[in-house]
Amino acid sequence: MKRKGFGFYLRIYGKILAQDLKSKMSYRADFIISTIGMIFTNIAGFLSFWILFRNFPSIQGWGYYEMLFLYGFSLVSLTPVQCLFDNNWSLRIHVYSGDFIKYCFRPINLFFYYQSEVFDIKGLGQLAFGIGTIAYSWSQLGLGVTPLMLLKLLVFLITASLIMIALQNAAAATCFWIQNSFYVLDLVTRFKDYAKYPIAIFSPVFRFIFTFVMPIAFIAYYPSIVILRPEEVPLLSWLSPLFGVLFFWGSYKFWMYGALKYSGTGS
Amino acid sequence: MSNIIEIKNITKEFKVLNRREGLKGSIKDLFSRDYKIVRAVDNISMTIQQGEIVGYLGPNGAGKSTTIKMMTGILEPTSGEILVGGNVPYENRTKNAQEIGVVFGQRSQLWWALPLVESFKILKDIYGVSDKDYEDMLALYQSLVDIEPLLHKPVRQMSLGQRTLSDILAAFLHNPKIVFLDEPTIGLDVSMKAKIRTLIHALNQEKHTTVILTTHDMGDVDALCRRIVIIDKGKMLYDNDIEHLKNFFGSYRTLKIRIDGSLKQLAEEIDRKLSDFKVSADDEWISILVDEEKATVMEVLSRLQQSYKIRDMQLEEISTEEVIKKIYEEGVQ
Repeated sequence: MKRKGFGFYLRIYGKILAQDLKSKMSYRADFIISTIGMIFTNIAGFLSFWILFRNFPSIQGWGYYEMLFLYGFSLVSLTPVQCLFDNNWSLRIHVYSGDFIKYCFRPINLFFYYQSEVFDIKGLGQLAFGIGTIAYSWSQLGLGVTPLMLLKLLVFLITASLIMIALQNAAAATCFWIQNSFYVLDLVTRFKDYAKYPIAIFSPVFRFIFTFVMPIAFIAYYPSIVILRPEEVPLLSWLSPLFGVLFFWGSYKFWMYGALKYSGTGS
Repeated sequence: MSNIIEIKNITKEFKVLNRREGLKGSIKDLFSRDYKIVRAVDNISMTIQQGEIVGYLGPNGAGKSTTIKMMTGILEPTSGEILVGGNVPYENRTKNAQEIGVVFGQRSQLWWALPLVESFKILKDIYGVSDKDYEDMLALYQSLVDIEPLLHKPVRQMSLGQRTLSDILAAFLHNPKIVFLDEPTIGLDVSMKAKIRTLIHALNQEKHTTVILTTHDMGDVDALCRRIVIIDKGKMLYDNDIEHLKNFFGSYRTLKIRIDGSLKQLAEEIDRKLSDFKVSADDEWISILVDEEKATVMEVLSRLQQSYKIRDMQLEEISTEEVIKKIYEEGVQ
């Protein structure tokens, strides 16, 4: 049997995704309603942000457009976890009911196979909205478009996504040990809402928590500094790509460890 | 013929928490944990040859699933050796997965939203099936069952029977050496059951695929298996031909007679007369389970005729179901 590499998995994913989208489109009402829902969610999210910043023109030295950039950055970096890893939300149900065992018999990577089953199309609207927000604030801040800047943006967006994915993987995988992991997953999701604020506004205790315990500051704040304030980049920002890769790898190992330990309930 | 599965003295133990009763007990459990070791599979050995269909039987909780999980590589045995197609399953999980197919009667492994044919195409890629083998397989399927109407139907919209059928076809698609079928006919109507049995039999004949079948439906066993393995409480009770099993249990036959009068009362009366045999009555018949080593059916019948006017009679061979029931209840002496 030949070794299954990146290309193999990409091809399989592409096929599953194409079929999945096709079948989703065939439910027109469902598709339209979820699209409308998605648009409203984004508008509501932006509205609360906008109201806040109409009243406070700057927070701890962070101006409106800088905050807007942060907001857009967090939206884009949260897209991959929403689109590609949404099946993590169902993991505890599959595990609790014993259904998870059906994923264990395929000759391909279990983590991949499990996550490939669901693609959440709703995340795409968030992506478009986020890119728009970044582009708008980018031009208002007059950051200029150079290949280096774009490369930085790309690298740090990927970093931020990896960290969010890692957090969610780890939270979801707790269901291999505890009965109701929903609260863990929910907690992580709630915390990610704080990702769009500069952690400078929080007290030192929370700053510590958001950096080292629940590293949501890496989702938007530390990466954004590299682009917004190149003169005051902390070491943590430069380390964050490494940190993102390591953290993702660790969460993957944790997930797989739990999954392989899992033996299913009796038939 | 070569051995496809070799199992030598495997044992699987689980650590289970001894739960105390009530709320107070639950709180105590939080602080002091009292574990006991449960032996789900206890020193089982067997070899299975390529192309066999083996009925793997046992009451609920006997250790069937645990054994299957060890054969598929999901569980590692506590001790003992296990080889499936030359691989140690839990060490080469992925490689083992390439060689086997698994079907759970109640859990579909197909993509819920996709039409069957798209599921097949994805599986074709996952298992690396060549175009030619794939086409041949589909042609074979078409010749065995009419799959054309199923191919373009999303799995979600299928009836349970169609879904099970699809799952079985999907499990055979990559031409695995072994297919594990876990209660494939559960919840299906009589004609669908027959269809699925015929399909399994045909695929086994055509592709020489080894089939390990766990079921509680003795109809499946009668239709498909020449060899059965029975386990209970983790221990092997029986491993041999199905005919041998019936002989092994002595030559039992059921004599059914019809007499005028209250059958219940008469049955009790007869039961007292024929203390050696089990007598029971339903609405129409009085049934007597005759052990022919003690007395022949004819002897019993003539004894009864001395006291009763027998209006009608029937003779039944013991069914697999009754034999299995006897084993589950009484074990093998």
